[in-house]
Amino acid sequence: MLCFVCLVALFVFRDQPRLAAVQRGAVDAVGSVASFVLAPLEAWGSLSSALQSRAALKDEILQLRQENLVLKGQAQRLSSALAEVARYRTLLNSVRDVEAEPVVARITALSPDAARHSIIQDKGASDGLREGQPVLSAEGLMGQLIWVGDRSSAAILITDGAHALPVQVNRSGLRAIAEGTGEINRLVIKHLPATTDIRVGDLLVSSGLGGRFPHGYPVGRVTDVTASPGDAFSLVHAAPTAALDRGRYVLVVVRDLEGLPEVDS
Amino acid sequence: MNNAQATWVIYVTFLVGLILMLIPLPMEWRVIRPDALTLALFYWVMALPHRVGIFTAFCVGLLRDLMQGSPLGLSSPGLMLATLLLLMNYQRVRQYDLLLQCLVILSLLCLSAGIEQWIRSGIELPLVPTGAILGLLLSVLCWVPTRTVLRYFRRYFEVY
Repeated sequence: MLCFVCLVALFVFRDQPRLAAVQRGAVDAVGSVASFVLAPLEAWGSLSSALQSRAALKDEILQLRQENLVLKGQAQRLSSALAEVARYRTLLNSVRDVEAEPVVARITALSPDAARHSIIQDKGASDGLREGQPVLSAEGLMGQLIWVGDRSSAAILITDGAHALPVQVNRSGLRAIAEGTGEINRLVIKHLPATTDIRVGDLLVSSGLGGRFPHGYPVGRVTDVTASPGDAFSLVHAAPTAALDRGRYVLVVVRDLEGLPEVDS
Repeated sequence: MNNAQATWVIYVTFLVGLILMLIPLPMEWRVIRPDALTLALFYWVMALPHRVGIFTAFCVGLLRDLMQGSPLGLSSPGLMLATLLLLMNYQRVRQYDLLLQCLVILSLLCLSAGIEQWIRSGIELPLVPTGAILGLLLSVLCWVPTRTVLRYFRRYFEVY
């Protein structure tokens, strides 16, 4: 009987909105339990940073100042380029990209499910997060939100075996779909014609097709291209540019996703 | 729930099992996490078969799915079948020596994990990597401490 209930739950009610509400609640619960578990580690971290030596801090400030200078220089170039792009856009009468406001969230937990790649952050619906919003790190795209609780949210990473996103080769503009493989440092592009111009080292950026992810964020770098003669398609592997299993903080791009289809977890 | 029988101890151990499941591990190491929750379930089924049975296994499975964020009902059927087998044989398994008992637990863990994997492939979720076999072996190694600790609690709080 109960087995039957399970199977019905799995096959019929999987996308029931009421079940979704329960799962959102569970994300909150996991988030708070995780922060509770993490509290001693946090305390240790803050203690050791408080006890850093003066010389080390001075070095760090110097290094950060230099980095800041370099970044400022790059930002100047970027702002002029952005202005130029905006002018062209208005010339072309196209819709302007909505300036997205990122929210910084701290990773509090990983999903305990070994088959899935998902992370749990300490920001939720009360901070303006919604399901489907993209999650970034400083180096590139990480994934998208699948469950948003009140104070925590869960995001699926781009390397999860059930995730795929539209990408574009930065060099040639070629569009493709990069799928997750279930390995943390590997994406795969399966259905590219064997004669396509794609090389090892090419940067893949999000193409923005489908509207789920914003255009132009780095996704991965091509690591190998296998085209065996006789096959219609070549197999392309890429490594994500974002360090998906490192770092404590992520950026969530809070943007309006109305009109897009629901997230299918 | 009757306080005189201290059944709350059982629920607390399940809660601790869930919390142990949430302890952060590096991405690739999650497969070798010992499954304390399932071990606790098996212990209670074997020690108190009149208290902890198939319905409890069902609930534990649901809680586990909620915590993992996977579709509800993914891990329940496997746990329920393993619990059923254990309920049918608990008197025999109690008498086994440690090695044989570990083998029984290993096979039950494999059974529930196998059914879970089967359901995953049925609803087209990503499959658990093969390294998880190592996790099952580690879980069995943890059977001895789990059993000792839970038995101590059972006697201390007089759960029956």
